[in-house]
Amino acid sequence: MTEHTHHDDQHDQSDKQSGRIARGSVLLIEDDSTIAEEIVAELTGHGLDVLHRATGDSGLAAALAGGADVLVVDRLLPGLDGLSVIETLRQRGIRTPVLVLSALSAVDDRVTGLKAGGDDYLTKPFAMEELLARVEALLRRPDDTRSTKLCVGPLEMDLIERRVWRDGREIDLLPREFRLLEYLMRRPDQVLTRSMLLEDVWQYRFIPRTNLVDVHIGKLRRKVDSPGEEPLIKSIRGTGFLLRVAD
Amino acid sequence: MWLTELCRTAAFRLTLMAVAAMAGVMVMQFGLVYTQMEAVESHRSTALLRGEAELLAQMTPEHLEYVVRKRATDDMRLVISSAGLFDASHALIAGDLRAWPHGLKADGKPHNIEIYPEEGAPYPLRLLAETMPDGTILVLGRSFHLLAEQKLMLRHATVLAAIPTLLFALLLGMVLSHRALSRVKDMHEAIDLIMAGDIHERLPAGKERDDLERLAGSVNRMLDRLENLMDGMREVGNDIAHDLRTPLSRVRAKLERAMSTGSTGEVLENAVARAVDDLDQCLGIITALLRIAEIESSRRRAGFGVVNLAELVADVVDLYEPIAETEGIALLTRVSSVPVCIDGDRHLLVELLANLVDNAIKFTPDGGTVTVSVIRQGTTPELIVTDTGIGIAVDERQAVMSRFYRSDKSRHVPGSGLGLSLVLAIAHLHEATVTIEAGPNGQGTLFRITFS
Repeated sequence: MTEHTHHDDQHDQSDKQSGRIARGSVLLIEDDSTIAEEIVAELTGHGLDVLHRATGDSGLAAALAGGADVLVVDRLLPGLDGLSVIETLRQRGIRTPVLVLSALSAVDDRVTGLKAGGDDYLTKPFAMEELLARVEALLRRPDDTRSTKLCVGPLEMDLIERRVWRDGREIDLLPREFRLLEYLMRRPDQVLTRSMLLEDVWQYRFIPRTNLVDVHIGKLRRKVDSPGEEPLIKSIRGTGFLLRVAD
Repeated sequence: MWLTELCRTAAFRLTLMAVAAMAGVMVMQFGLVYTQMEAVESHRSTALLRGEAELLAQMTPEHLEYVVRKRATDDMRLVISSAGLFDASHALIAGDLRAWPHGLKADGKPHNIEIYPEEGAPYPLRLLAETMPDGTILVLGRSFHLLAEQKLMLRHATVLAAIPTLLFALLLGMVLSHRALSRVKDMHEAIDLIMAGDIHERLPAGKERDDLERLAGSVNRMLDRLENLMDGMREVGNDIAHDLRTPLSRVRAKLERAMSTGSTGEVLENAVARAVDDLDQCLGIITALLRIAEIESSRRRAGFGVVNLAELVADVVDLYEPIAETEGIALLTRVSSVPVCIDGDRHLLVELLANLVDNAIKFTPDGGTVTVSVIRQGTTPELIVTDTGIGIAVDERQAVMSRFYRSDKSRHVPGSGLGLSLVLAIAHLHEATVTIEAGPNGQGTLFRITFS
């Protein structure tokens, strides 16, 4: 109940300021004021409602008060550290998805970040588009239903027989192309960055060269979008890709 | 000042301890000889006293009294120094003992008793009292004179022997510690110079004949290694600065030009987009450096587990096949049918192999072949990546592993120049060695990762 009221309050305030309908609310806990400003500008610019707190304690209080759909938490904070904030929240049964920001790139740090209850991990420095895409992904949890069929726009996927059709025309895919398309179909109309694809489809945490994912997407696109058909897989300049189905 | 410093040296302290020990042993020896002498003399005097007493007891009382009386006036008292004849109530009949010695019992056993003469200091005597057949008591005494003289001689001899010995040892210790001290002083001076920043300075080590010189030699070798590492770091620092300055100055030039000439929004937008690309390159270099540092400093094997090399190769080839295809390169795998497994961190090994495959594709022209093989050489698993590309000259093979090295042939190919450093760091963590050879038929390059 309380959570709901707070949620509405925040929406009201932000709606008055931006004059837009917020798509979700984000609680940002970050002590670096320059980065925080950039993040707030980027997220509010994309219709998200952002509440910023600069310390672990005030951030935890705000998170406990409820209302946020996604938390963006810096690992290193003055006072109460980021991981402790997340741990405290998880202990209290609050399951709001968390994106952990960190200047530490060590694999260990990533693992501890995720173990503490974080849902995604982003290493500084990062592109703002990357942050936005990941926050959006957390706002819209993928369709992980157990159904054996996925249907997105003209695409139809049989997860058991590993077959795909577009408007009834069967598309012949290699296993890796199938995995990639399945990932896209579970997240329609959502910007997916190259590193998100590498991390989630291939479980790689590094990008040896930038066009690696593009080549995979290119191959898939040629099979999915035949000449004359409306292109479904779009490239978002400088950011990543998107499977567009809604008009 | 000099003396306190001397006293602080380990050699001098050792000398002092040795001198003290020697002195102790001498005292003990003296004591041993002394007690031995005492025991011998005591035994001898008892025998003499008793023998004399037995001899005198056989005389008639008149004769005995005469002998005792005569003895008292005699000066021949070498064996028996005092004698006295007392009646049963301890009253003197004859002899040179003035009174019945205090505490003496007529039991025929020797007693050491202090005698108080009329004049002079009291002196001890070994006394023996024997009751004669007529009831009189014969008292015979023997002085400790001889023993005292022998003791005095012994003491003198000991002291005379000890003083020069101990003095000599002390002097030797001082000389030796002074030598050690001067060497340590030289070392201190060298260390002070090094600490002040002169990293080329070394400790005086000589020919390493003793422990101090060997220690100095070890320290010098450590300093050599540190100097090498520092040189390497300085070089890397310069390289980083250089590699970052190039794209950064490009960014600056572009933005400056766009600002001065760029009137239209489109020109500005283009300039900014290209500036962001250049900045991304800088960030890429920094990220790669941090990643290498992270792996190199990592002693952690937490992420280690059983990794099937064939699966690893299949995963990486799956990722790189489309790009190889696009660039007209055949990406082949040669994997033994027997599974080859090692203990390792799968994520890091994927990164290692991906970097090698990425490199191979980058440096192989259209129509070439890149082959990834997993073999078992005896019991050691090996991961091999070969290409038919431009190859690496023999004299460059060591250098390509160092940071930022770009061979002349590869200057035009984009990249951070850190890929192989990363490969090396990951291989080290896995206790694997990286060797570079010529590819099959002497063409292209072969990278061999040998796991132990």
